[in-house]
Amino acid sequence: MTLSVSGLSEVRSGQIILYPTSLELNTRDRVGLVGISGSGKSTLGHALIDDLRAQGYLVSHVPQSPNEALDPLRSMAFHWREAERGLGLNPGAADRDALFDALHIQGADMAGRPWSWSRGMQQRFVIAMALIGKSDLLILDEPTSALDPIVAAATMDILDEYLATKEMACLLITHDLGLAACHVDTLMVMDCGRIVERGPTQQILNYAITPAAQALASHRSWIHA
Amino acid sequence: MLKVDQLSVKRGPKIALDRISLSLEAGKTLAVVGESGAGKSTLIKAILGLVRLHSGEISWMDESVKTYKPALVMQEPRNAFNPTLSLRRSILEPIRAQALSVPEERLASLCEALELPLALLERRPTQVSIGQAQRASIVRALIAAPPLILFDEPLSALDSVNQKRTAKLIADLQQEEGFAALIVTHDLGYALAYSNAIAVLRAGQLEESALPDAFVKNPKTPYGQALRDAAIALGSIEACL
Repeated sequence: MTLSVSGLSEVRSGQIILYPTSLELNTRDRVGLVGISGSGKSTLGHALIDDLRAQGYLVSHVPQSPNEALDPLRSMAFHWREAERGLGLNPGAADRDALFDALHIQGADMAGRPWSWSRGMQQRFVIAMALIGKSDLLILDEPTSALDPIVAAATMDILDEYLATKEMACLLITHDLGLAACHVDTLMVMDCGRIVERGPTQQILNYAITPAAQALASHRSWIHA
Repeated sequence: MLKVDQLSVKRGPKIALDRISLSLEAGKTLAVVGESGAGKSTLIKAILGLVRLHSGEISWMDESVKTYKPALVMQEPRNAFNPTLSLRRSILEPIRAQALSVPEERLASLCEALELPLALLERRPTQVSIGQAQRASIVRALIAAPPLILFDEPLSALDSVNQKRTAKLIADLQQEEGFAALIVTHDLGYALAYSNAIAVLRAGQLEESALPDAFVKNPKTPYGQALRDAAIALGSIEACL
């Protein structure tokens, strides 16, 4: 199956923040959308979600901040049930225990509101919600930003393992090319509201053409061990 | 030299820092790494004299914590400035506090070193980018030429390209100005790339201290190893394949 969108664009306060953009994603594609702050990555992510949902596809989304996904007035149990309902699942149909175990949030207070959980736990809860059901596309927007490094690395491993078993495309949005390079096959580089370069990960790491991609590639890690 | 000797801090009934000893020589950089809840921020507050010490001592050049004035660079630059003041006014606050004369030349040269156009200083913190606001907060930390600057996650609000550029600018300025830097960060790659020594904190205790080169090759503790491996898995440290 190919997910395809064309001519996505966005204007805010009279300024073009996303120039008309078209792209295609195939099932099992692992694509990284990378760029510096303000390059339009999240805007494209949101536009992609709206367009694909309008086309009838099921898109799971892990937003940059868990605040965007969780209602402070509702319990965690309510959020979970809402996610199941949204996917047409019966209560308890999703394998919550296995996901919570894998993400190390088992035993947390499901009757509690989001703010009674740590930010890192909220983020992992949102990731768990995104992994139930069978979406056509999973969009991860800086999924590890609220996580400590050891938990972040373990969470990315769990996502990789999970995705390996699913017929699902995945788009990883991040400013961190070093992180993307470890987890995706293809990269799209954004700069000033445009995708300026696309290609296999290794090619962009080693032979970036545009200044934006070159800056990301040359600043991708702190040291070589 | 900054000396932290057998420092313990209690927060309520909980021990936030448990007999920590560290030292940092003038002009050098010490990176303190660890995860949330390790006690990194409590350590910074203790050095600034903002929390009561349960036991132990902190001194700078053998003076007590009350007499020296280290500067602080905070994690979120937008929260680090008074939103109603121009950046220039906030930057000059340390000068006013110490009743010094306004060092226009120094301000201009610091802004130049941090690639901050002078015109931007007339703006408020929300009218500049996060990267620019963070560089302005570094100018503020440096303006009164303190011998010690504490950096609390100075790069975590920035994108990966800006992080590396800003780290380089800080290091270049340190070469020139000779201040000692204590950098608290959860990013091991940054710590290893820009420090003379690293200290790993875990749940309030000093898990391991090491030289960066030795640590990256061979962390002494399993926890140190887990941090190093995570940094590799996240691309912060690039392993040569």
